[in-house]
Parts: sequence; structure tokens; C-alpha cells
Amino acid sequence: MAEPSLPKKSLPKINKVDEPYWRGAASGKLLLQKCKACGKLQFFPRIVCMDCFSGDIEWLPAAGTGKIHTFSWVRVPRNPAFKEDVPICYINVILDEGVIMESRLVGKGMENVKLGDRVKVAFQETHDPSMKLPVFELVA
Amino acid sequence: MRRKKVCLVGYGSTEYSRKSEASVLWYYAEAIRNALRQTGLHKKDVRGLSITTQVSTDYSPHVAEQLGLEVDWVLNGDYGGAGGVMSIRRAADAIECGHLDLIVLVGGNSFDRSIPQQRPLEYQRANYVDVYGYGGPNTLMALIQRLHMAQYGTTLEQIGKIAMAQRENALNNPQALFREPMSYQDYLNSRMISDPIRLFDCVMPCSGAECVILASEEKARQITDKLVYLVTDAEISHYQVANMLPDKTTFGMKVVGDRIFTEVKREDIDLFEIYDDYPIAVMIQIEDLGYCKKGEGGKFVESHDLTYRGDFPVNTGGGELSVGQAGLAGGFLHIVEALRQLRSEAEGHQVKKAERALVTGIGWLNYGHNLGTTAALVLERRK
Repeated sequence: MAEPSLPKKSLPKINKVDEPYWRGAASGKLLLQKCKACGKLQFFPRIVCMDCFSGDIEWLPAAGTGKIHTFSWVRVPRNPAFKEDVPICYINVILDEGVIMESRLVGKGMENVKLGDRVKVAFQETHDPSMKLPVFELVA
Repeated sequence: MRRKKVCLVGYGSTEYSRKSEASVLWYYAEAIRNALRQTGLHKKDVRGLSITTQVSTDYSPHVAEQLGLEVDWVLNGDYGGAGGVMSIRRAADAIECGHLDLIVLVGGNSFDRSIPQQRPLEYQRANYVDVYGYGGPNTLMALIQRLHMAQYGTTLEQIGKIAMAQRENALNNPQALFREPMSYQDYLNSRMISDPIRLFDCVMPCSGAECVILASEEKARQITDKLVYLVTDAEISHYQVANMLPDKTTFGMKVVGDRIFTEVKREDIDLFEIYDDYPIAVMIQIEDLGYCKKGEGGKFVESHDLTYRGDFPVNTGGGELSVGQAGLAGGFLHIVEALRQLRSEAEGHQVKKAERALVTGIGWLNYGHNLGTTAALVLERRK
């Protein structure tokens, strides 16, 4: 009988709506959706504009900068594969474009993170070589 | 909107267990049996069924079939923790319309390993949350709690007081999984789960079920002389959804409260069964319902006695925090406890003046926002 396989860190199940977003992330770009009808910016990717219901949506590169809105130090991740990383600093970032993005803080100085700290995006490799995750680092 | 002629005529609970692997259908049947026994009704009287669970692979009509029920009305009340209140709203609509005069509603959970327990995560969770190693709802509520503490100066003492008061309420509730007193030190020193959420901010998952029976006023009079009326009810899903910079510390309960309190006066509520997946969620709902200003929930709980003996009784049986969370039965627990109180059947934790109860339900935590579903209802005992 085969050994039960160990859980792997979760990766997105890419769909028709968010495929451009993940392709962008893999090439080092953080993309937001912009409604061509009303100009609204939105995240995460949806099939319609959250304001005007238009389906005419384009992708806009974000500056990748923002500030910490709130955070939690995760000691017990839902997926046990993340246990090796605890405590994980799970964050809500307000991007300078004016949308909230949920992500993870990595890198230098993170143990001293506080609300309002400036952050910039980085792209973390995953166990799937074709996929990268947008994460954030503190701006020194 | 004001309801006129809809009553809650009975309830049934099961034991809660952290180990039992009995199926969710077994729990449904047990809770329904207990409710039928209390009301003197029979299986053939059940012509309407609503189910709420995360752990059944069967659609609601299949569940009715397995329970041997020929039904005129059936519902899958899949509204998360708001499932109890929101299902009751649907059932009350059907009864007011005259489609049928009696509906049985049941919510349950089990650890039956023969059935796939975990549904796949929703799109937003799977692709944009879980990939970062989040800790489930504990993390998502921790984000809200940290913000509430930072913006309003809310303290752990204030948040912990809710957990402690509910524990006191649970001491004499035989259904509660936790019946040992909890001190502030116990609360503070409990293991960190997703900072600032501690173990004693979290509910204990367990198996179990809760059942309530709804009936037309006319039918209710044939069943019981303890008439408990549904007075008013409201809901909102995805409050602030289009706002990309939402106020994370205000729930849709603010809109729900505004609707509820056009029909009844805030000061006329005797007891509060407030959905308590976390103490901070209780505090925020107290604010949103207008019992104090936004951000003053900490001071409010400091200056009120939240126990069943107190001036603002909250989760008088211990709530999910002390009784346990039998999955989506959690959304029914508060309704059943309200019924016990209004019928003067809450032995050992009875509120002295219990004529009117407010019950809330909340479900899910949306990306970047807060609650997905929020709902509330008011019950009133009439002679």
C-alpha cells in the first residue's frame, strides 16, 4: 500500500477569471482589475465590476507598495504543511491604489511589524516552478 | 417588518460530543425526536423540513427521504453561522403565506469519517487566503480584533470578560462541554492560536444537533400554552462588499439592528443570544446593534453584568464558547437557548424577567472585509 502523501502547501486553483493575475505574479507583476466602464479598481479578481456590474474589465499593474492595515501571527495554520513556517505573519495591506490585499509578511524586521508600516511586494517561489506568490516586505 | 402569526412551539437538543462518530443524520433524528416528544407531535405532522450542516454530502430532499419524511416544503439553509436565523426567516415566510402550518428546522454536525468532512474551500479562500498559510477563521477574526484594539483602545480584559461571563452562565448547563470556572488569568494564559486570538477566544468543535419547530399561531395554540412569537427579523449578506476599503470593525449587524429596532425598542429586550464564534464578535455586535457607540463595546461590557443574573444577560447558557460548536448547529443553539429562557425552562441559569429575546447569527469571513451573512430575530413570550 502506498504511503499517504504528506500535505503540500496550498496553491491557487487557477480559473478563467484569475489566470491573468497569476500569470502576472509568475513574471513579477502585481495586477489589479480595473473596470473600463466606471474606472473602479478591485481585488481579488472577479468576473464583474463590484460597483457597476460591467463585465468589461482590464488588468492594471499596481505599484506594489502600501501599508499594513492589520495582521495576525498565525501559530496554527489551517493546512498543516505550513507548520514549518510558524509563526506566520498574515497581513491585510492597503495598497497605494486604495484596495485591501491579504498576504503574508516576510523578510527583515518583520518581528517588529506594527499597523501603518510601509511595505512593498515581493514574489515568493512555490513548489510549483510555474507559480509565484505575491508577498510583502517591510520598507526599510 | 413585523411578523404577526408565527410561533416557535418547541425545540430539541442532543448531547454534544468531542469524540462521537455518529452520523449527522443520527444527530438530526435525535434532535427532531426530542423536539417531537416535547411538543407531543408525531412524524406524520412534519410536512416541512429545513437542514443546516457542513458535513452532509446529500441535498436537502435526500435527507428528508432518508428520514422517511414526505414533505410539502424543504430547504437547505446553507447560510453558515447565520443558518439558524436565516432558515427561520424562510420558514416563517412559508407559514405566513399559508403554504403549510408547521416546519421542523434542524442544524447539526458530526465527525463521521465515512463522509468527506471538508468541503473544498471557496474560491476567495482557496486562491487568495489559504495560499499564505492562514489559520482558518481564527486568523480572519484576529485581524478584526487587532484593528478594534488599535482603533478604539479595546483591552484583553474587556474581551476576556465576555468569555468569562459566558463560562459562568455555562456552569449549570448540563449540555455545556466546559463547566469549570474561567478566571481572567486562565483566559490570558490560554495558548496563542492566531495572535491576538487565544485558545479561550475559540469555540470547541463537537458533534451534536439542535432542532426548533415553527408553526402558525393557530397550530401553535393546539400544541402548547407556552406561546413564543417571532416578532421581527432581518438579514443582510455581504455588507460593504463593493467597498475595497471597508470598515472591518463594523458588521452588517448594524443594518440588521436598524431594521429590527424599528419594530421593537432596544430597551425592551430582556436577554441577548448573540452569535459567539469569538468574544470580539459579540462585542462588535453589541456596538452594531446600537447598545453603545462604535468603539465603546469594551467600556460597555466593563460596566454591565453579562451573566444570566445580570443587567445585560448575554449567551445565558454559555454560548458556543462554553457549550461547544456543533458545526452549523451553532446558529441554532442561540435560538434554542432563547426558547428555554422564554419558556422558563433554563434550569440553573434562568433569567428572572425573560419575556423578549434577541437572537443573532453571523456566518463566514469575507476577503478583506468581515462577515458574509448577518441576521437577527426577536422572540417574545405571550400569555
